Amino acid sequence: MGTLILQKDKLKDFLSSLDEYTLWAPVQKDTITLFEVIKDPKNVSLDLKHQAKIPKEAVFPQTELLFSFDKDGIIKKTDSREMKESIVFGIRPCDARSFLILDPVFEGAIPDPYYLSRRNKAILVGLTCTEPFSNCFCTSLGGNPFSQKGLDLIFTELNGKFYVEVVTEKGKKIIDKTSSLFTAASTEDTKQREELAQASESKIKRQINLNGIPEKLAMIFEHPFWKQIATKCIGCGICTYTCPTCYCFDIQDEPTLRKGRRVRIWDSCMFGEYTLHASGHNPRPTRAERLKNRIYHKFKFNVDNFGVPGCVGCGRCISLCPFNVDLIESLSAIKSIE
Amino acid sequence: MNIQKLRDEAIRAIGRKDVKYLIGYQRGSYGFRVSPAFIQTKEDVDRLIFSPLCHLSLTKYLTLEEIIPVSEEKQKASKIAIFARGCDSRALNQVIAEKGIPRDKLFIIGIPCEGVIDRKKIEARFPHVTDPADVIEENGKYIITIGDQSHEIQKEELLADTCKVCQYPNPFIYDKLVGDKVAPRPANYDDIKSWEEKPLEEKLDFWLDQFDRCIRCYACKNACPLCYSLVCILDRLNPQWVKRSNDTSENLMFHISRAFHLAGRCISCGECERACPMDIPLMKLNRKLEKDVKDLFSYESGKDSESKSPMTTFHVEDREDFIL
Repeated sequence: MGTLILQKDKLKDFLSSLDEYTLWAPVQKDTITLFEVIKDPKNVSLDLKHQAKIPKEAVFPQTELLFSFDKDGIIKKTDSREMKESIVFGIRPCDARSFLILDPVFEGAIPDPYYLSRRNKAILVGLTCTEPFSNCFCTSLGGNPFSQKGLDLIFTELNGKFYVEVVTEKGKKIIDKTSSLFTAASTEDTKQREELAQASESKIKRQINLNGIPEKLAMIFEHPFWKQIATKCIGCGICTYTCPTCYCFDIQDEPTLRKGRRVRIWDSCMFGEYTLHASGHNPRPTRAERLKNRIYHKFKFNVDNFGVPGCVGCGRCISLCPFNVDLIESLSAIKSIE
Repeated sequence: MNIQKLRDEAIRAIGRKDVKYLIGYQRGSYGFRVSPAFIQTKEDVDRLIFSPLCHLSLTKYLTLEEIIPVSEEKQKASKIAIFARGCDSRALNQVIAEKGIPRDKLFIIGIPCEGVIDRKKIEARFPHVTDPADVIEENGKYIITIGDQSHEIQKEELLADTCKVCQYPNPFIYDKLVGDKVAPRPANYDDIKSWEEKPLEEKLDFWLDQFDRCIRCYACKNACPLCYSLVCILDRLNPQWVKRSNDTSENLMFHISRAFHLAGRCISCGECERACPMDIPLMKLNRKLEKDVKDLFSYESGKDSESKSPMTTFHVEDREDFIL
């Protein structure tokens, strides 16, 4: 839909012009990167060296208040119709693709008003990956570091400027408001972008061919392999809470003496509480069943239900796992089971 | 560290009838990663390594539910063999003293430890390394080999912060000791002392900001060798002491509970802080409590397997001036 150039020093003006939207963007704090609602665009930092916080939160927050109550009844209820339009700025192409995996889940038989309302009102502005992380394997899952899929606009950092690709009408709408900030991209700019894209893709070293994995998984549910690979796992929630495609949640009432709230919070299949029955019985009593479930959900159930794996190859679960449980290694091992 | 000596000791350990398997270290799946190794056969022993990259606290695996499949002849073996550095040996002592693991279920291979590299530091220095990398220590420097390239870096630049103030690098408890004893570093709580002097509001703001970023993955608790409750207070549902909402108040409650349960028990391995995906400086809290317990009760955790930690004992002469 068009390619434009925005000088780097104009980024602040561009972001300031979007003040009618809720602006989500990466912010650098000490050693970490947070995705936050931005009040002052000068706080935005595109130096995404730290991966643990995911832009999924802009649409599907870790904690969502459904309503609060006291002894007389409901005090406050979250109304999905009141949600403001938002711009989620500076997200990786893999994270943008994760929304395409999440959408059919929340659009299902009972559409989820909270997710869908935020999602439909969100404009996703991506930033291409010129320096992939060591465990990036998006190319194994149909993506690439310059992928436009799921995005409305995508920025590429060239020397001192951004190469901006307008992907959708939604994206064009926000550019049109500030068209004076942008100039047309030259063929030289486009060439530079192509070169960067190729260079970036060649930096991705890890990969896995997923052919045959759903079929193999159908045959090895009871295999002792699951105990072997889960031995290392310590059962924390890093892999699920930093995953852009994990969507499991729990709904809990959190009462205090005089008032309370009902919240929807992220859940993690790596926790014992996830499948704990009221009777005390737990059908997934150990890390082996839990890790098995995580892999089955992503590489079999999601394929069965929605036609695609529930993974975008961002590599976070690998890089951030403290005890080196490595998804690519696990998938390779699954393929080699006779 | 002479790796062959360590492997020989490992072969002898798993050759014992009463040893089921051995928990050690092996090369990880990429770059600077090291992985826990669960060794059952003589052939597996060749996978074992010990280098400055071996930061993992393996003691954790003794208290997690056992799922590793073992051969039929080893089903009845009662012991687990494990590598233990200074801090690991303190964790073992502490858990044994608390009756978490019986001493006779363990075969401990002690390894004096020169300190380990903080993975976050080395990965920041050498980002995006996928190829296998090796590190050896020589004369106060780390020699880092990545593919065919070699780099030399001063040890202190990459050394884990907890190791910089480690007073106990040599194992306190072991069945076999491999390697020469290491000179301990002097006790140093300067960082904590200067922190204590800051105004209360500043400290509170700092921690609220830190806990605000917590994603409640519980990696700190799950990686901790001393967090081995069958039902942790944080997992309890009735009553639910800590709500599942991720907000400042609940996160604060979670972190206070975690830290206080480790008062007089933490052995300063630093695994919680290294595991944290949000870089929350948990050792600042743990070391404050460690210093307090040392000052108030003259107690340091894990130096033997009989002493009871101050929080689990009562003496009439105990200080009570802090009780309101």
